[in-house]
Amino acid sequence: MKLGRLDVEIAGERLTLTGRIDDASPLGELVSQLPANVVIDTSGVTFVNSIGMREWIRLLRGLRERGTVTLERVADVLITQMNLIPDLGNNVRIASFHAQYACNACGAEVAPLIDAVAHAEQLQRLKAPPMPCPECQGQMELADFPERYLTLFRV
Amino acid sequence: MQSAGSGKIVVAHPERKAQRALVRLVGATPLPVELVTDVDALIKAVDGDTIAIVDAGIARANVGLCERPARAWIAVPGEGLAPAEPAGIDALLSAGWSHVIAHPMPILAEELLATVQKLIRGDTFGLEKYMTWGAEIRTYALDDTRAREVAVNLMAKDIIAVGLPDRISSMVSVIADELISNAVYGAPVDESGARFRATEARDASRTLADRDAVTVRWATDGRYLAIEVRDRWGSIDPRAIGAKLAAGKQNAAQSEGMGLPLAYACCNQLVIGVAPSQLTEMIALLDVRHKPTELARGASFHAFIGTVGAP
Repeated sequence: MKLGRLDVEIAGERLTLTGRIDDASPLGELVSQLPANVVIDTSGVTFVNSIGMREWIRLLRGLRERGTVTLERVADVLITQMNLIPDLGNNVRIASFHAQYACNACGAEVAPLIDAVAHAEQLQRLKAPPMPCPECQGQMELADFPERYLTLFRV
Repeated sequence: MQSAGSGKIVVAHPERKAQRALVRLVGATPLPVELVTDVDALIKAVDGDTIAIVDAGIARANVGLCERPARAWIAVPGEGLAPAEPAGIDALLSAGWSHVIAHPMPILAEELLATVQKLIRGDTFGLEKYMTWGAEIRTYALDDTRAREVAVNLMAKDIIAVGLPDRISSMVSVIADELISNAVYGAPVDESGARFRATEARDASRTLADRDAVTVRWATDGRYLAIEVRDRWGSIDPRAIGAKLAAGKQNAAQSEGMGLPLAYACCNQLVIGVAPSQLTEMIALLDVRHKPTELARGASFHAFIGTVGAP
């Protein structure tokens, strides 16, 4: 199914979004088509504007009133905007997310997947786990202020 | 508009080292520079023809200063010229400060000098003022509302092609989309001041010609990437926009009117120039030299009222 420039795939409890969440993505309409407990994968989301963010909020608010919502592989472009609205973390479980990291040794910039369950204790303290650089195997660090990615995890 | 030769610059900062740095920055402008160390001396020194450069600590403790007559009030990073904190920036924007500089040296120097020179010369518009000479400027003219996505995608590809990372391209996409949307849908006003395009369907095609024309330019010089969007309505109140940006972040949960606050959150400096009823220009600057953690947590903000064709 397509919602504007967004590919939407529903398979059982799993909702996968790929593409742009923008003016043409009425995500709120999906609530009635989804089961009570949902896992949402947004790793393929490449763009979210303010109207798209409003639709994302509608989707999450609609879903969390009915059951559990687990977010997997949250796209970098989405997790940073979600952290502007910390209320979005209420009653939503984030299992993993992408974040911008930089390698101090070789200067590479990548967005690896962070396992939010394995690193839960660190994330609650606004500490991003170090990650290996895919180019030089050096140690990469979060390339931004922790609160831009981790406010949602703060206890 | 003031002539370049009139007025003075007053620098208010309690620290000697910071005073020296600030005076050196603006000392080569045509205006005389006066130095004060506290708010009482500042109030005595500033008149309607003064550009006041004020330590953020003094500014935060006296947010109402910006209501006093002056050519401009500019808040600069506080103690030791460390970066300004977001809460401090928001407090100043909420109080109506038109110029709040967030970043430490060397960005402070570049930003302050550009701001002061724009004020002195009355030359408000154009991203060239933030670029090193020779930086290539690319222009996209939008001829239809549906060209927004095309322009944003093209810009994102061009930015990757010049060697900037995905992170920058991604932020530029959001900023450009929001600034263009604001120009296309938010800027047009009718005789009563109502924003009659605000609820227009975003997937509808509409020709952008004459007063509806929107132009987008961008450039990078390896220090900054600047995105400039212009409309021909000049309908934004630059004195109120800072407060809206600060409130927008706090009210983000409602997600209404979140476009400009989102663009502001994605850049390091937002510059708004308005020639009332003629032109609005928004320039978002991203620092591409430094790691985000080497910059301030919040972004700088500048609002200018200018004249088309000046100086």
